[in-house]
Amino acid sequence: MPASKVYTSPAAALADLSAGASILLSGFADCGAPGGLLTALSHCGIGGLTCIYAHAGPETAEPYAAVSRLAAAGRVKKIISPLPFPPGKGGVIQERWQSGNLDIEIVPQGILAERLRAGGAGIGGVFLPTGIDTRFEQGREKRSFPSGDAIFYPPLKADFALLQAAAADTLGSVIYAGSGRNWGPVMAMAARITVAEAGRIVEPGGLDPEAIITPGIFVNRIVAARPD
Amino acid sequence: MPPKLDELTIARRAARELPPGQVVALGPGLPCRIPSVLPANAPMQFLSESGVLGYATRNAVDQTIAAPIVDANGQPAALNPGASLLSTVDLAGMLRGGHIAAAVLQPFQVNAAGDFIHWTTAAAPGLFPPGNGVDLAAARRVIAMLPHTGADGSSNLVSAVLPLADGRRCVDLIVTDVAVIRVEENGFVLSELAPGWTADEIAAITAAPLALAPDLREMPLDPPDFSAATPAGKVYPDAPAALHDLHDGATVMIDGFGGPGGMAHYLLVSLRDKGSGGLTIISNTAGIARSVNFGTPPGRLAIDHSILIDNQQVAKAIATYPVSPSASRPSSFELAYRRGEVELELVPQGTLAERLRAGGAGIAAFYTPTGVGTLIAEGKETRTIDGKEYLLEQGLQADFCLIRGYQADTLGNVVYKGTSRNFNAVMAPAARVTIVEVDEIVAPGQLDPELIVTPGVYVHRIVRRPPDFSAYE
Repeated sequence: MPASKVYTSPAAALADLSAGASILLSGFADCGAPGGLLTALSHCGIGGLTCIYAHAGPETAEPYAAVSRLAAAGRVKKIISPLPFPPGKGGVIQERWQSGNLDIEIVPQGILAERLRAGGAGIGGVFLPTGIDTRFEQGREKRSFPSGDAIFYPPLKADFALLQAAAADTLGSVIYAGSGRNWGPVMAMAARITVAEAGRIVEPGGLDPEAIITPGIFVNRIVAARPD
Repeated sequence: MPPKLDELTIARRAARELPPGQVVALGPGLPCRIPSVLPANAPMQFLSESGVLGYATRNAVDQTIAAPIVDANGQPAALNPGASLLSTVDLAGMLRGGHIAAAVLQPFQVNAAGDFIHWTTAAAPGLFPPGNGVDLAAARRVIAMLPHTGADGSSNLVSAVLPLADGRRCVDLIVTDVAVIRVEENGFVLSELAPGWTADEIAAITAAPLALAPDLREMPLDPPDFSAATPAGKVYPDAPAALHDLHDGATVMIDGFGGPGGMAHYLLVSLRDKGSGGLTIISNTAGIARSVNFGTPPGRLAIDHSILIDNQQVAKAIATYPVSPSASRPSSFELAYRRGEVELELVPQGTLAERLRAGGAGIAAFYTPTGVGTLIAEGKETRTIDGKEYLLEQGLQADFCLIRGYQADTLGNVVYKGTSRNFNAVMAPAARVTIVEVDEIVAPGQLDPELIVTPGVYVHRIVRRPPDFSAYE
């Protein structure tokens, strides 16, 4: 029997997370953020983390709130994000950045998404028109193509991706619900170990093949979401 | 000074600018107010960076929603009939690829060249995070919605160069709490005044020269009325009508894998009958089902690209497998190639898919490891990235794309069936005019939003395949 992808708890699924790891965190304004995995991440004590996510919505929204807790505990080394905290309400992340204890790399949303996809799809980098004549082209290669000027952006990969699924089968194929899809599909591709927290876990055949958004090949571990 | 307009009134004015029948991206902040001032049946679809295409305010649609649906502000929203759900990477490609007719965004500042700084950028000095403000700038028309002045009374409309701009030369129209201002070649043009305001009063709180529009008027504040708007429908009566402008010399993407499944046979036969010549076709094969007879009933011939080649309509193919697997049964394309009648650009299958995706998602070029050290690499730039060698490949686009779906709604949302999905989903966004042939056309709302594979924004024309139409002739 091949090893099962289903783990008994979020903590078990993150047991080999090591200091200095980079982690992709799905979620948009609480939709699609894996609550159980974020709690386990808060409790695991691992530091030196690079967190890659986008904030949206209220100040309490995940995954921003979880990253704030990690940053308050001094466990975040770097953040890569289009919007790392609620506009005008920087909180502990802004404080630690201003005091030089946390590095932040701002990457506009569509560029971040495409860099992750490149990382996941084995692409060596992409030339995008996004950011032409803005600060985002500084220090980057710029070229003219028949379609216009474009800037070179390298791929981005991470050690872990944590995402929430509406349902997963035991092979790791995943469906999402509503706005919960957001970063899940592209983050799942771009990580060495992708962990999906699923509202339901079903046997193979329990999901409509036409409905599967993230095929199981991109998902390494599955944990059951605990009903709130 | 006269009173300034409240947010909902600004939203009502901005809503008047929205193009009927099109998709409009609404950024975080003030633009999220727009759906609440419109009826749920307003003739446009709203796109949110939360991954929803076709949403309305929660109370506007009488619909029980099991899934969490939010707008760009993270506030609860509802799905309109014909909505679809997207991942962040999908919606970024939709914007970057130029598929979105208009975006409404909230800048902190706009200058007279149409450059803008997104409000989120200004809210974190030193970090300047744009969120998706940079992506919204790629819409074909950009409408800015913002307070005319900041809390300290300084103008948010300026003539200064903005080193922190999130987009350059992209804002077309500005709607503020006191005026409507067009961004034209020579700068700001004041076209509408809020009730009670004079042009001099607006100029006094604007830090840039302000030309007066010849038709300067008071801002209309009544709710927009789209009842007279009749956006052109996407459903065509038949294939000849949908192909009416497919001209000689056009580049045409044709879906399909290899066998008879997942091909737009009805459109292909109609294209043959139309006779447009000098075509460049972009496809996985250049037609092999006809020569190989994958399960073809005795005495009949499979319909595929070969019918265009036999009719001498094809000048060139960009394809991955343009030959027959059987040397004794060469394909029409092979024979034509040997006769020197057609050109061929050979592309590995994964590279073709990636070039199509790039073409649809506004990616100029990319580095792929596929084909390094093979004939495919000849004449192409190579680059070593992190110790691995890659080839530079460019995006592919076409004038037309012919795809085969299972069902489409009248907005053009498409679902496929089984392996007929193949190249359809990646081709559909890459053409100027994408035409889908489906077994069934349904009303918006009849397809599960979670199951839609090709959102209607990528589909321009829909034809129903006649129920008795055979894949063979």
